Amino acid sequence: MLAVPALACLGIAAAWRGLIPGVASWESSVAAIAASVRLVGPVAATLACWAALRAHRLDYLRTLSARSPVTGPLLDLLLLCGVALLAYVIVALVIIGDTLLQPAAPGFHPLGLPAGAAALAACVVTGYVAGRLAPRPLTAAVVAAMTTSWSVLRPAGSSWLSLLPPAAYGPIGLNGGLRPGLAADQLVWALALGTAIVAGYMWRLSRHRMLLVPLALGLALTTVATVRLHGYGGSAVTATPPTAPVCRTWPLTVCVHPALAPGLPSLEAVATPLATRLTGTPGGFRTLRQLPGAGPAHIKAGVAWVHLTDLGPGYERRVAHELVAGLHTAPCDSAYAALVDAWLLGEPAGGPADPVVQRRFAGWTDQRRRTWLRTHYPTYRACALSPADFPRGT
Amino acid sequence: MIAEVSTIVARGMGVRRTGRWLLRPAAFGIAGGVTGLAGPPGVGKTTLLATFATLRRPQAGALEVLGFDAGKSSELRAIRSRIGYLPAGLDWAGQLCIQDFVAYAAFYKGVPKAAVHSIIQRLDLADTAAIELSRLPADVRLRAGLAATCVHDPELVLLDEPLAGLDEAAVLELIPVLRTLAPTVLVTAPQIGDLTDWCDRVLTLSRGRLTDLATRPFWNPERDSDGMFAATRSMAGV
Repeated sequence: MLAVPALACLGIAAAWRGLIPGVASWESSVAAIAASVRLVGPVAATLACWAALRAHRLDYLRTLSARSPVTGPLLDLLLLCGVALLAYVIVALVIIGDTLLQPAAPGFHPLGLPAGAAALAACVVTGYVAGRLAPRPLTAAVVAAMTTSWSVLRPAGSSWLSLLPPAAYGPIGLNGGLRPGLAADQLVWALALGTAIVAGYMWRLSRHRMLLVPLALGLALTTVATVRLHGYGGSAVTATPPTAPVCRTWPLTVCVHPALAPGLPSLEAVATPLATRLTGTPGGFRTLRQLPGAGPAHIKAGVAWVHLTDLGPGYERRVAHELVAGLHTAPCDSAYAALVDAWLLGEPAGGPADPVVQRRFAGWTDQRRRTWLRTHYPTYRACALSPADFPRGT
Repeated sequence: MIAEVSTIVARGMGVRRTGRWLLRPAAFGIAGGVTGLAGPPGVGKTTLLATFATLRRPQAGALEVLGFDAGKSSELRAIRSRIGYLPAGLDWAGQLCIQDFVAYAAFYKGVPKAAVHSIIQRLDLADTAAIELSRLPADVRLRAGLAATCVHDPELVLLDEPLAGLDEAAVLELIPVLRTLAPTVLVTAPQIGDLTDWCDRVLTLSRGRLTDLATRPFWNPERDSDGMFAATRSMAGV
């Protein structure tokens, strides 16, 4: 009775960590749900092993039975898998529900969810059969250690092994998605392995030759799926075709990925003062756009290009800081440049600047500062400002 | 000696464990009625009983139970559906109530739910059927174990030290129940004296050899009114 809510809470916590902060993305949601099995799977396997140990004590009733010797274990597996999968469904519903409540980035891999479910079922089967084959208290500890190691020791992108279920996908950005066919191969791998384990154990109990067929088939499909997963080279994510951005056009034009649309007002609010202060300088801009990929933030021809991957706390300040840092030709640690940077960002001036210059600059009007910046922009951009660049006077 | 209609027939059957003969290859039969098997702890009574229950394979010879060859996989299910086996100790089922425990056994024996109610009534467990086994006294737990063992009306019942840990009053009350569980009952105990008064035949297991003690007359509670342990004390020389 407690297993379902406990597993569901674990799964929700694990899946939540894999989501893009503040952003709804189907790719990210499906990958997060499937990846939650990396935490839930070892727990479910250990619970299944423990259940097998407890059931072992009543084996004499099952063995001396008019029913087939596989009846008991099959019923156990049905119950245990049902519990684990019910928890998985709850996790999926919570994450999907959260995604539905926001404008979500397109892209949905329907096989991602059943692949995660199959991986979870395979964990349960492995734990249960281990408990039946070695009915000792130590077996549960060994199952916990081995399944946890299987999850932890395969970080995303480390090698092709990280793609074996339960897989580690790593962060999936808005412009990326799971590689086509990956979820299908993982689904086949997990189903085939689970089938092989169950068929093998049932054959051991009953010695029915017909069980050798699903056993052989499961092993063969597992091998084929393993070879296919090896071919991905450890990379689960691929770039997706660019999505048409959504824009807000006044007072600035700000364009971002559709999933980031909720951030438009805040971006507009933080970019507008910056754009106003840079007006008339080569760094002036009237449009702010999201960079489609890697590359430094920069301003060119009146368009500011920035990185924006999520709407986590402080995202608008990060964008502004990135823009201002990109105004310089190289990383700049000048105290005088920092003084100007703070003004551009609307933040209090600080740092080891000359207090005289600091007071002088603070005493200027905003209009005076903008005029001054137009004159001294190349020096500022080159990070070569000095006290002489801040003359006394009105 | 193998009787014509022996329930259990062993032909050169030997049982080993960890390299030691628990029962050297021997030929014998166990007929109907109540048969006791006595021997000190560790001599192999439980292993031998498990072998008769087809839970273990003999390392030598052949074993027939109820006319079926225990060495043939095709006949094992026929044997197992006709026998009942109660291992020593019931603490492992402590979290179940009697009703659920017997129903669990009934499911695997393939008998209807009515059989569960029937056996619970027969063994006077109706009042305690909803109580967890761990909360019940030892004699009631034994009755629950017997109910699970016999829910399918077996032809052969194998009981491993069923009376261990019970007081005299409980033993006196349960012996008539044990005798009527099935046409053939095989029960083990550590001491000969625990069996001679009420078993039709007593075997002893010692150093890999099975010995048939002189059988006593059928235990009659009306005739033996001086108490069940009087005969035991005379055998033991007390």
